[in-house]
Amino acid sequence: MNLEELKNKAQEELELVDSLDSLEQWRIKFLSRKSELSQFFDHLKDLPLEEKRVNGQKANEVRQLLEQQYFKKKQKLEAESISQKELDITRPGVKVERGHLHPLTLITRELVQTFEKLGFDIALGSEIETEYYNFDALGIPENHPARDMWDTFWLKPKTKSQKSKLLLRTHTSPMQIHYMETHQPPFRVIVPGRCFRFEATDSHHDIQFHQLEGLVVGEDVSLANFKQLMIDVLKEIFGNEIEVRFRPSYFPFVTPGLEIDIKFKNEWLEVMGAGMVHPDLFKNVKYHYQYQGFAFGLGVERIAMLKYGINDIRLFFSSDLRFLSQF
Amino acid sequence: MKFSYEWLQDLIKFKEKPEKLAELLTLYFAETTLNYQNKRAILDIDLSANRFADGSSHLGVSREIGAILKKKFNYPKIKIKEEKEKAESVVKINNRSKNCRLYSSRVIVDLKVKPSPLWLQERLIDCGLRPINNVVDATNYIMLLTGQPLHAFDFDKVASNKQNKKEIVIREAKEKETITTLDGKTYSLSNNALLICDISGPLAIAGIKGGLKAEVTEDTKRIILESANFEPTNIRKTSREINLKTDASIRFEHNLPLELAPYALDLVAQLIQEIAGGTILKGSLISNKVKQKKLTFNITEKECQKFLGFPISFKEIKEILDLLGFVIKKQSAQDKALIVELPSFRNDITIKEDVMGEIGRLKQFNQIKPSPLEAELKIPTRNEIWEFTNQLTDLVKSFGFVEVKNYSFISLKDKKNYLEPEKIIDLLNPISDSFFSIRPNLLINLFHNIELNYRFYDKIKIFEIGNAYLWENDEIQEKILLGGIWAQKEREQEEEIFYQVKGIIEALFESLNIKEKDYEIQKIKNGLEIVLKKDKSQVIGSILYLDKEEKDKYSLEGSIVAFEFNVLLLKSLKKPIHYQELPQYPSALRDISFLIDKKLLIGEIIKNIKDASNLLESLELFDIYEGKNIPNNKKSLSFHLVFRAKDRTLSSEEIDEEMTKITIILKQLGAEIR
Repeated sequence: MNLEELKNKAQEELELVDSLDSLEQWRIKFLSRKSELSQFFDHLKDLPLEEKRVNGQKANEVRQLLEQQYFKKKQKLEAESISQKELDITRPGVKVERGHLHPLTLITRELVQTFEKLGFDIALGSEIETEYYNFDALGIPENHPARDMWDTFWLKPKTKSQKSKLLLRTHTSPMQIHYMETHQPPFRVIVPGRCFRFEATDSHHDIQFHQLEGLVVGEDVSLANFKQLMIDVLKEIFGNEIEVRFRPSYFPFVTPGLEIDIKFKNEWLEVMGAGMVHPDLFKNVKYHYQYQGFAFGLGVERIAMLKYGINDIRLFFSSDLRFLSQF
Repeated sequence: MKFSYEWLQDLIKFKEKPEKLAELLTLYFAETTLNYQNKRAILDIDLSANRFADGSSHLGVSREIGAILKKKFNYPKIKIKEEKEKAESVVKINNRSKNCRLYSSRVIVDLKVKPSPLWLQERLIDCGLRPINNVVDATNYIMLLTGQPLHAFDFDKVASNKQNKKEIVIREAKEKETITTLDGKTYSLSNNALLICDISGPLAIAGIKGGLKAEVTEDTKRIILESANFEPTNIRKTSREINLKTDASIRFEHNLPLELAPYALDLVAQLIQEIAGGTILKGSLISNKVKQKKLTFNITEKECQKFLGFPISFKEIKEILDLLGFVIKKQSAQDKALIVELPSFRNDITIKEDVMGEIGRLKQFNQIKPSPLEAELKIPTRNEIWEFTNQLTDLVKSFGFVEVKNYSFISLKDKKNYLEPEKIIDLLNPISDSFFSIRPNLLINLFHNIELNYRFYDKIKIFEIGNAYLWENDEIQEKILLGGIWAQKEREQEEEIFYQVKGIIEALFESLNIKEKDYEIQKIKNGLEIVLKKDKSQVIGSILYLDKEEKDKYSLEGSIVAFEFNVLLLKSLKKPIHYQELPQYPSALRDISFLIDKKLLIGEIIKNIKDASNLLESLELFDIYEGKNIPNNKKSLSFHLVFRAKDRTLSSEEIDEEMTKITIILKQLGAEIR
């Protein structure tokens, strides 16, 4: 093929090029090292000097021309490639599978983070407890009327010689004893965990639920300190406008015992039980100094229900993906 | 417990409207809700266990209202008219048990049993009781007023002793002794139960329920009244043993003050005379076995301030204690110290902190000014398990899985299906067959989740991190597990999904920087198991697909692959990340495709390739093919191979040499290079 034919053919084909991909193929065919034009240059070296000069010049002109046309075409195509094909921005994107965290995980993390900012340690405990840690050490001996506050799932003993009665913890409070047995004040600690109650279920009660237990002990940790901490924490979770109320209550392992309510849609709702640690607990863990402190137990489901507007506690353990995929 | 607003107003004068009173009681005493019965305000007070003994009566609540409103409270006066004839000449009290701490009794004769006056009936109805007759209603009315349970026996139905006296014997029951109670039910008792008897047999289960034998009826003319105090734990035990809780038993369980009994006895005798006529014989018969101790406490301003964290004054402390009925025995204005005596009706207060708590309560907890905790500024100790669990949760979620939380229980049926049912921990008191035992793993409940969710979804990817429990040599073994499931309604996709899940677990291991040298993969039925290299009995986790039999167990269909991992073992393998210096010299990429025996494991082939060349940096299997155009017993594998040297750019000759080594090894394995 002579140069003229080559040039015409290249130009004809360039006319037909309509995408950057086909332009690249065109470039390989006509301008790359393996192209016919290149081969033409390769053959030059075998020609007599004069022909070499003339043909060389011609070939260079052709190459420069094609290169120019190539860049022009490239620019044009690049400019067109986006604008020519109008994006339908209303078209739904390609679906990506995404996972979800359980709402109780989200709320527990938020609560824990709040306390971590305040320098609280995190402790974890077993869901299976002995009668001693769940009741006796907390000042709730057998035949104490307050035992009725905690309907309990008891475990069938494996052997007749089993030392102590086992149960599913009815609250995270046994960890107060476990923690104090291994730590000396001053300290502040929280314990997130699952608890169980042997009771009939309804939209606000279930046989299992989660608590966040807190314990602060020091030389002069006071009731006023407790109030400040709880107000701050509830504001952190529900916003600065939240109204908080304290009222008397009773738990054998604190004195005085308190209940904390928050005002929600004009109604007072209970969110936690609390109080000053009963001195008997300090005796039970063999502290020799007269410490003071407070303890509290937040209902995690309760907080999640208020925060997300969930009206039935049983949804949390339903494993219904229609519910879970909303979080 | 229900309280009549009007009745309270009769006992202590106050102007507060029912709504206001309910609010005050909630803030100072116990949670109170307001209801109406025939337009009469009823306060429903949720008494806590500690305030039951003093607060479960209209007198008790009035006393509390007096303290809240700073008003003087007065007890109703006794104005009893007695006859000359002495009660002790016709009745004898024979108390043989220390579990009866006090027994007081009166005798009324010549009365007429009939319906009660309307005002009395109304009050009983308002407080949730059913009117019966004037005598029984009077005992109930005085119980609602004072908190003291009372009982009336028909004098003429009680047996006489040799001295021709009605003898009331208080004793423990004989084993399996029976009694028929007022409602006609018969109870068989243990020797723990306390009985009120005559010389021939039981008249009542002490502190729990009256017997049919000496029931007061329309024909009753003479009565013996009982106002007693029983050992709380004894009553609680019996009540549980015979599974009978009554208004009386609940009250006695809460340790009523001793002095209440004789006072309530006089009040009830007086009321019966008023509404049923008759004459009261002279004197109360009292058997008193226990003396109530008088407790005193040292209270100082300094300690109160330290405990409450609030600058409460000595004057205010004294005022509050006075309002609560404490008696100041000694005081020092200089030291701002007090010795106070506990009022007898507050059995719940046993230590100084209880008293300081009461000061806080009556000051009103909301009025105590909050103050920030002063504590050491320290970084909390890291809880590695908590942090790792969170990391794991986030990772599995990032692979498109939804986190679920299931009940920690499994059903009886699931227990029976479990491989080693004897290891499962059972409940002593399961709520139903559906929540029968403690879960031994997470997968059982996750499988049940599929059935539910198949109703709305064709494809389900869920996971859970939680605790599971098993008996191991008579000890309870607790495990934190990560369990997950990928389920699809479409059939016969198990293989596809299995490799997808395996890929996810590989990505999880990479994210945790778990090193290949630390674990080993073993084949098990329907899947694989990953074990610790240094101790192969330690199973880190497994990936399994469900076969037909397994799917039938849970009534499931489609293709299902499950995985379960031991969280603490995963944690033990997690390694910190160390940056690898970026390569200085370029890599060279070559591809290789070959046909090889179908049965040869890919892991084995990869291991051989890796061993063949020490310049091979990495390899990736990008195509596996079986079927058309290749022999039946063969598969075609294609790999990208990446070669690199640390200290130089590899020449094409060097790479060719490496490729030759690999080819030789593959040929030894019977491969046919394509």
